[in-house]
Amino acid sequence: MNRAADQPEPNPLREGLSARAVPQPCTIVIFGATGDLTHRKLVPALYNLAADGELPLAVEIVGFARRPKTDDEFRSDLEEATRKFSRQSVRDEIWKNFAQSIFYHQSEFEDESGYKALAKRLDEIDKSHGTRGNRLFYFAASPDQFEPILKNLKNAGLNQTCKGSWARVIIEKPFGSDLASARELNSVVRNSFTEEQTYRIDHFLGKETAQNILVLRFANAIFAPLWNTHYIDHVQITAAETLGVEGRAGYYETAGALRDMVQNHLLQLLCLTAMEPPTDLSADSIRDEKVKVVRSLRRWSHNAIATEVVRGQYAKGAINGEPVVGYRQEKNVNPDSQTETFVALRLYIDTWRWAEVPIYMRVGKRLPKSATDISIHFKKAPAVLFNKDSHDLNVLVIRIQPDEGISLRIHAKVPGTSFRIEPVKMDFHYGTSFGKASPEAYERLLLDAMSGDATLFARRDEVEEAWSFIDPIEEAWHAKKNAPELFFYPAGSWGPEAADDLLARDGRSWRRL
Amino acid sequence: MPPVAETYSLGVPVEVSKIDEELKKLWQESESAATRASLVNLAVYSEDAGSLSKNTQLMANITENHACRAIVIEADCDAKENHVEAWISAHCHVSGVGSKQVCSEQISFLLKGGCTDLLPSIVFSHLDSDLPFYLWWQREFREPMDPQLWAWVDRVIYDSQGWEDFRAQMSLLESAEQEANQRIVLCDLNWTRLDSFRFALAQFFDHPASHHNFAKINKLRIDFAPGFRSTAVLFAGWLAAQLSWQSDKTNVPNKFSFASSSGGKIEVELRERLGQPIGEVAMQTSDIEFLVTHAECGDLLEVSRGKPGGKRTPQLMPAEKNDPVSLMSEELMRGGPHHVYLHAVERVRDLL
Repeated sequence: MNRAADQPEPNPLREGLSARAVPQPCTIVIFGATGDLTHRKLVPALYNLAADGELPLAVEIVGFARRPKTDDEFRSDLEEATRKFSRQSVRDEIWKNFAQSIFYHQSEFEDESGYKALAKRLDEIDKSHGTRGNRLFYFAASPDQFEPILKNLKNAGLNQTCKGSWARVIIEKPFGSDLASARELNSVVRNSFTEEQTYRIDHFLGKETAQNILVLRFANAIFAPLWNTHYIDHVQITAAETLGVEGRAGYYETAGALRDMVQNHLLQLLCLTAMEPPTDLSADSIRDEKVKVVRSLRRWSHNAIATEVVRGQYAKGAINGEPVVGYRQEKNVNPDSQTETFVALRLYIDTWRWAEVPIYMRVGKRLPKSATDISIHFKKAPAVLFNKDSHDLNVLVIRIQPDEGISLRIHAKVPGTSFRIEPVKMDFHYGTSFGKASPEAYERLLLDAMSGDATLFARRDEVEEAWSFIDPIEEAWHAKKNAPELFFYPAGSWGPEAADDLLARDGRSWRRL
Repeated sequence: MPPVAETYSLGVPVEVSKIDEELKKLWQESESAATRASLVNLAVYSEDAGSLSKNTQLMANITENHACRAIVIEADCDAKENHVEAWISAHCHVSGVGSKQVCSEQISFLLKGGCTDLLPSIVFSHLDSDLPFYLWWQREFREPMDPQLWAWVDRVIYDSQGWEDFRAQMSLLESAEQEANQRIVLCDLNWTRLDSFRFALAQFFDHPASHHNFAKINKLRIDFAPGFRSTAVLFAGWLAAQLSWQSDKTNVPNKFSFASSSGGKIEVELRERLGQPIGEVAMQTSDIEFLVTHAECGDLLEVSRGKPGGKRTPQLMPAEKNDPVSLMSEELMRGGPHHVYLHAVERVRDLL
């Protein structure tokens, strides 16, 4: 969003051509280069940026992984993956040119000599390709490898930069599995890289509609006066997916929906929805306001967690008419697993703006449809003239995925001689209004990291505050005595009944998706 | 939508006074689920015979990426009697999301006689409310420029490439803007045509370490296709404006020079060559050349830098397409004023 403070003098020939910060030449080193993320997301995103002319002239990619491979074999693997997963079709001539900038570096993550060789290779690339000593290290490896990678990068001097160049590190979630491990991870990162050099990626923040929340709130005068406890009845945030664990059982069994989705994605969306206006659009101003939201979340006692948080696990059922097995029957899942695949919460933000406005969140797997959205339910108009028998509220819906857009439900008179009032929906679809396809979240985020713009990345204190909110819930769930119940729901339903009860006792219900 | 609305035909003939009514019917009679979308009023005006069907086809393509209320006007100003015919239609496309049909309405007019008087009333009555109004003017401007019309225009789109007298045309536009007391954004498709070359050349100077080269530039060569000299001159004007070069007097149309702020001389050579509107741009200092040229495959640019005549590894970038749909699509993606264009024009007004 904003040019970082250390950004260079503007290029006069750029005026009027591009509104965004222009990245500098650099080498991107991907740790875990043979993994899924690299093949499905990172390299296709970089290819799309290259095809759209968004990359600077010199951007080199070095894949770092254990398996022996030549540069050409690595390029060939990536070409196959990019042809499969790229947003736009791959053009041979562009790929050929792009592939020349891809290299493979084979080493064990723990092998110090591998990093020394990497340093030498990066210096050579700087000289031959003009990447000017700028390095972006992307951690696409499993989190247990972060520590040796960081330590070895430091030992090889790769966290240091010459004057005028930079080194940055992008870390994929999970950023720890609780507050203690997050702090430990942050401390390990800090031993090698400063906070300013660290970019914690949450791909939800790279989505167009997530970014549009700030625009909607702070570029439209009509919403600002209504965005508070006086006019908002409650807020709902839903992240539903039809998929089950899909081969991620190993990770999911140790994480669960609360850690996998709520701690990061959903709290980030909540922050954008609830934050105060920042003083400017710089990364830190925005993140200062976001962290205040998490800090202001009301904490619960052990007993309150049982009433404010519902956890569930899908049992066998059907999705789109196709029978599916229950979570405990999934491959590599413990048949007695207590892992939650669904969470619903009632939150409160104890600030002047949000006093006593309930925020209902739900996230789940094997729900009837895949959709992520935020809905703002406004208070009912006085039932003096109309609305005497109606309980419908004005609802503003921000759809994050799929079909990104915004809709507003208002009341209108049904044509006829009587005053019959029905809700109608005003709808804005990104896909309908703007023909241009939104870039993939990773494209935007990679470009931001190269440009030194950390606005859409999570800061250390945001992550730690989020864990400090999540930890008591996990502790209560795993307590030996009086642990809140794990409810089961049939796959293809909207979660356990207890989730409906969470709202029903307030006289509300989940929005129909 | 009724089948007739999905072709490149002008659609359903309607009485001018009943256009709104008939548009409403068009949607009510729709057989399939379709969403009407509009972000802008886009009127296109031409005096060429047969332009209605040509522009309808252009609009069908433009609306694929830019939902709008299209108003297509063909004027026969020499007709003896005043007469207006109108048609309504819709351009429907399957959107990127699922299989939803997204449709843009089009109202077409054939104006005969009294063009200048009829145009504002025709346009004003059929604008989609609260949306900006872009007017694509496909011929040269001429007196009188009706201030009533120009007061409503947010952006006027034209292509200066075909203008016989650039200075006279700009002067008409500027006085219309003043008379209408309205800040109209001037959008020249001849300028849009330069986007990818400007973008490609700008890339060389993104790092501050390369900025010292600005002061050392001493030669600029631009190859242009026959009929595109003005495009090449605008490109030189852009560099002059952005790098604070002042124009030197010259008598040779395709060889002129600028003086840099440090007093250095920049020799400019424009060469006419068959091919793309702008075929190649080479900018030189005494020891380095920045080169942007069309790749063999046509819609890509090769960009490279190095010693003049030395071996280089070029990089590929997207190139601009020169057809009206691509140029319009590019122009419609933009917002805000075109200050850089106006500065470029100022630097080379005398050369155009």
